[in-house]
Amino acid sequence: MAAPGSVRFNGVGLDYRIFHDRTSSLFEAMSNLFNRRTRSEKLKALDGVTFSVGPGEAVALLGPNGAGKSSTLKLLAGIYRPSRGSVETSGRIASLLDLGVGFHPELTGLENLYLNGALLGLGRRDMEPLIPGIASFAGLERFLDTPVKFYSSGMFMRLGFSLATAVEPDLLLIDEVLAVGDAEFQQRCQDRIYGFRGTGRTIVFVSHDPAAVRRLCDRAIWLGDGRIVMDGPVQDVLSAYMSSTAPGPRAVSCSPREWGTREVRFDRVDITGGDDLPVASFEPGRTLRVRAEISTSLPGGADGIVFGFSLHRPDGEMVIGSNNLELNEPLLSLESRAVVCMDIDLETLEPGAYLLGLALTDPVRGRDYHWQDYYYPVALSGERHDPPVRLRKASWRTEQSV
Amino acid sequence: MSGTRPGIALLLASLAAKELKVRYKRSLLGFAWFLLKPVFNMVVFTVVFTRIIRFGGDIEHYPLFLLTGLLVWNFFSSSLTASTTSLLDNTRLIRSISFPRAVLPAASVAANAVHLLLALLVTEALLWGFGHAPSASIAALVPAVLLLMAMTTGISLALSVWNVYLRDVSQLVEVVLLAWFYASPVIYPLGTGLLPPGAEAAMRFNPVAGAFEIVHSTMYCGTWPPSWCWISLCAWTAVLLLAGFAAFRAAEPAVVKEL
Repeated sequence: MAAPGSVRFNGVGLDYRIFHDRTSSLFEAMSNLFNRRTRSEKLKALDGVTFSVGPGEAVALLGPNGAGKSSTLKLLAGIYRPSRGSVETSGRIASLLDLGVGFHPELTGLENLYLNGALLGLGRRDMEPLIPGIASFAGLERFLDTPVKFYSSGMFMRLGFSLATAVEPDLLLIDEVLAVGDAEFQQRCQDRIYGFRGTGRTIVFVSHDPAAVRRLCDRAIWLGDGRIVMDGPVQDVLSAYMSSTAPGPRAVSCSPREWGTREVRFDRVDITGGDDLPVASFEPGRTLRVRAEISTSLPGGADGIVFGFSLHRPDGEMVIGSNNLELNEPLLSLESRAVVCMDIDLETLEPGAYLLGLALTDPVRGRDYHWQDYYYPVALSGERHDPPVRLRKASWRTEQSV
Repeated sequence: MSGTRPGIALLLASLAAKELKVRYKRSLLGFAWFLLKPVFNMVVFTVVFTRIIRFGGDIEHYPLFLLTGLLVWNFFSSSLTASTTSLLDNTRLIRSISFPRAVLPAASVAANAVHLLLALLVTEALLWGFGHAPSASIAALVPAVLLLMAMTTGISLALSVWNVYLRDVSQLVEVVLLAWFYASPVIYPLGTGLLPPGAEAAMRFNPVAGAFEIVHSTMYCGTWPPSWCWISLCAWTAVLLLAGFAAFRAAEPAVVKEL
């Protein structure tokens, strides 16, 4: 029996079936039977992955989308069974893969806690002593007998997080959910997770945020196409991974380019002065306004969208860049289309010609929707200083959302 | 995985309790619906079969005869309908927590079983009031109901995984249940010459016919059920429960990724 909190992946492979012509009704299945249009193909999400994690280690899983990070977490959580090889875990596992999933809107907070406890294997008697701690950590003592459908999404997530971490796990699985609730609660979540680390619990963490990875983990495993590319101290792996995925702007050509899934996309972008009139050159004190018409093809719309910009010198070097997430401005959400404005107030210390890049992303879901790199030429005038540009203020708002 | 697997009984009870609680939230009559539904069915069928198509008129206390069969049918059909979609209804849960997923369809059956037990008690009291005093044969009801529950669970397990692959399953279940209802001795008695002899013989191959015959003979007639009921019910329960479990186990790992 391995020590609680240890993990062993032994030559693990995981296959998905990918349908090229997906059928979900009997009629389609029958008609495809005759003309043989249904082809399914095996996609290897993981292939021959071997690693082990000892008790008390904090390991980050790095890699681009589709590399197998989430599959690895789901195997660890026991949700998937490996197609090949073996997965061994020991001790109690808490997974922060999706918070508050077992909650039923019609049941009260307390009823939901007991129900979720049962899903985690805790009887009423085991749950009872945990309830006060869960409620006070979530700050919901007064709302435990309220049906959770009346909770705000923040309250809902707070209760989910408090419950998931209250069970004193030996192994904690985190899938980029650290952004829960308001800033103060996020801080407490992080404190609790770092606290787990301090008490010798094992943590496996998937994140796209290098800073969070560096802070929490001492080891990183870089996955690519379902295989381990590199496994070692966090700093080494992180820098190798970063330099492979984001070659410095100097190294790439700075001709305009567009990329991304386009599930949320820019349909039209106008760069104007603060008065909505197009301008050729921005003088100091003049607001640079990016007015974008965006649309989404995602059914049910999209939310939590990060709208970012970056300003580059003509040689491609990035001078400055930020986004609404970083500056704690509201994230965008839209049902099908929206017109959004980003006002950038720059303090120009190095006048000249620049290239403005824009991006729509969702870092929580790890989506790159639409990037326009080195896309919009802007001229900044003013006195020459050093450093050349400073951000004075930036704000975001949705003017119209349909 | 050690020591983290939740107790199945605890999970089953919690999920069934949740299903019952949720069903009667914001409902004026609440729990009374477990009996009201079969009673409404009974009224409709009584009118149809004694006033319009006259065959039930000869049967003494036909409404009570109907009620005993209807509430067992109600358990069977509601369980199958609810459990067929039970995996799809809990997609997020299945994709983010590890637990024995077979409890989801089983909990749907368990929630309906609670209804059935309460309804059987009330109906037995009604029958007594109308002069059908319980005899020793009532003891046979207990194993019969348990066997029917096990059989229903078996069918539910298979339907719930198949429905993930093909959504048509839930539609088919509705259609098949309608035909099955008239093919089962729910609204008509057996052994009274109402059915042609060939149909009576074929009835022994209907998986649920045995259960209905036992319920009718123990509760309504107060007699011991014929032996074919037990043979049919036991054999079908064993086959369907094992086949259901096998179908679920075979499809489960793939279905989790499919959801």
